[in-house]
Amino acid sequence: MTMKMKMKLKNVFMLYFLVSICGLMYALTQLGQPCDCTLHSRQSSDLVHSRDRTISRLQGELKRLQARGNPEGPPKPALPTIYTVTPTYTRLVQKAELTRLSQTLLHVPSLHWVVVEDSPVKTSLVSELLKRSGLPYTHLCTQTPKDFKLQEGDPNWLKPRGVEQRNLALQWLRENRGPSDEGVVYFADDDNTYSLRLFEEMRFTKRVSVWPVGLVGGVRFERPLVERGKVTGFYTAWKPNRPFPMDMAGFAVSLPLLLANPAARFHLSAQRGNLESSLLQTLVSIEELEPRASNCTKVLVWHTRTEKPKMKQEDALILQGLGSDPSIEV
Amino acid sequence: MPRRRSVLTTLLIVLPWTILLTIWHQNPATRYLTILRKETYENSSAKSLQFLINMTKIKEEQHTACTHQQEVTPAQQTARRYVYSRPPGWSRWLPTIYVITPTYTRPVQKAELTRLANTFLHVPNLHWIVVEDSPRRTNLVDSLLERSGLNFTHLNVESPKSVRIGLAKDSSHTPRGTLQRNLGLRWLRENLILSDSLEGVVYFADDDNTYSLELFEEMRSTQKVSVWPVAFVGGLRYEAPKVNTAGKVVGWKTVFDPNRPFAIDMAGFAINVRLVLKRPWANFQLSGVKGGYQETSLLKELVTIAELEPKAANCTKVLVWHTRTEKPTLVNEGRQGFTDLKVEV
Repeated sequence: MTMKMKMKLKNVFMLYFLVSICGLMYALTQLGQPCDCTLHSRQSSDLVHSRDRTISRLQGELKRLQARGNPEGPPKPALPTIYTVTPTYTRLVQKAELTRLSQTLLHVPSLHWVVVEDSPVKTSLVSELLKRSGLPYTHLCTQTPKDFKLQEGDPNWLKPRGVEQRNLALQWLRENRGPSDEGVVYFADDDNTYSLRLFEEMRFTKRVSVWPVGLVGGVRFERPLVERGKVTGFYTAWKPNRPFPMDMAGFAVSLPLLLANPAARFHLSAQRGNLESSLLQTLVSIEELEPRASNCTKVLVWHTRTEKPKMKQEDALILQGLGSDPSIEV
Repeated sequence: MPRRRSVLTTLLIVLPWTILLTIWHQNPATRYLTILRKETYENSSAKSLQFLINMTKIKEEQHTACTHQQEVTPAQQTARRYVYSRPPGWSRWLPTIYVITPTYTRPVQKAELTRLANTFLHVPNLHWIVVEDSPRRTNLVDSLLERSGLNFTHLNVESPKSVRIGLAKDSSHTPRGTLQRNLGLRWLRENLILSDSLEGVVYFADDDNTYSLELFEEMRSTQKVSVWPVAFVGGLRYEAPKVNTAGKVVGWKTVFDPNRPFAIDMAGFAINVRLVLKRPWANFQLSGVKGGYQETSLLKELVTIAELEPKAANCTKVLVWHTRTEKPTLVNEGRQGFTDLKVEV
């Protein structure tokens, strides 16, 4: 190669090298920048239109979900229906409790909410709430006989609560469901807390399934004792000698079993803590219980209780005739 | 000699391109770009969002690793970690609701957070910022958040003992949850970029209250600070802002100290996230706050009463309830404990 050509070649190489290094540096700095290319593209008008379309679609979805209160019952679903029986009574926190319970239940497929009010008539508060909830529901009401009703200042364990209401729900099921209907019945009080997994655990119950309940009986949790897949006893500190020493939230009964035992009901005369046993004794024996929640080692439901809100100022205002607007529902 | 030189030249030619290729393949940003080019806009909206999210997440991590941005002061030990998992119903156009929930370990904690998560799972574009009052993030909250399916950020900061035992009655002590809420605000300021296109709302949601789904749609359109009634506070059925016929807030319908600048509960207002970022000095005051003035200590830095936006049908509907959960009586646990501590409750 001649000298001149060599020089030219050298220059070409140098140029090439420089250009590629510069290009590389540029590309590296570009990659380090936050990429807001999608934000830039927002400026164009057709994207604004698609935004509007999405908003109206979401609003439509919202309206549809809100309007979806089907009281007649859904068409036969593929999954066995969970009939959630909730007795409720009018008090300050009722709307809040039912609201957050409905928010949990709305996640569960094939669920039918049976709400039974302790009241001579169905209240508009509960009726409206159920209509707006988006759940398939049945709204019933029956009043607890006066002798069995708790008075102001009574401790809450003095008389059994929700008995007549749960029995009315059982009666409704017997009158409206037949032997071909699959399902499971769960008694869900309106102040407890339920995880979504619980409902899937109970769905396929043959007779009566059981699981642990948290924060009940004065202990962190109560649970059935399970050996080799069978319930052999109960792990509870309070009155462990009851026939079925567990909480209302700790078991579910299959619908066919209930329908096959038309006399099975909760008894008002049951002693303190024996309400659950008054029903279960007529349905199953301990050996027939089906343990759930990983052989009863996981807590999927908590027996939470809500404080009664302090109304000191409200009461003072009412005495002065200046109580808060009763037309604003709380 | 010429051979070595030719080898050297070949090397010099090939080197820049190999460097470029290796970095190009490794960096997820470029993966995002190629995919975006391949698919149409409509189809890629979900996937590209995911990739954008992944890219920003990885970039954030690289950023913090390389630049060692100043960590928290020694007085507050925090560990942060966040995961963007695709939540139910995420729209590109709805403003995000950033919910800050302070929480602390007690028997009902898991139950409270569970039912709160069940509520939030219905709300599109919600980002849950859970701040534990604890020296370390607990496994209980960690696994609950992971399993919930929500977009979340898990933070923690420990309150001094005097606060935790609830000596808030003394005015020189910090009310409960203050440090945690401030950490939530700080996280927003450090992780969001202020721009005109940033849309979002910040809401302080305690873990024992009850929220209707309608509330979240009401607060989404907040321009500065919006307000609404709250039930079961101040010893009343509900407290509400006083709204005049022109739709402006003129006072407070409350019995307990109605002359406070902002006589409203923590659950009764929401702030536009741009306002939070524009005023980085606005925080809840840590000490010297009289009972009931905690909300004021933040809001006075952000708005005047005239700028408040009344929601919930001009503050005539109750969409949030200040419920409180009873402390469970664990009398039968005894001194040694009756139940197996390995079972999480």
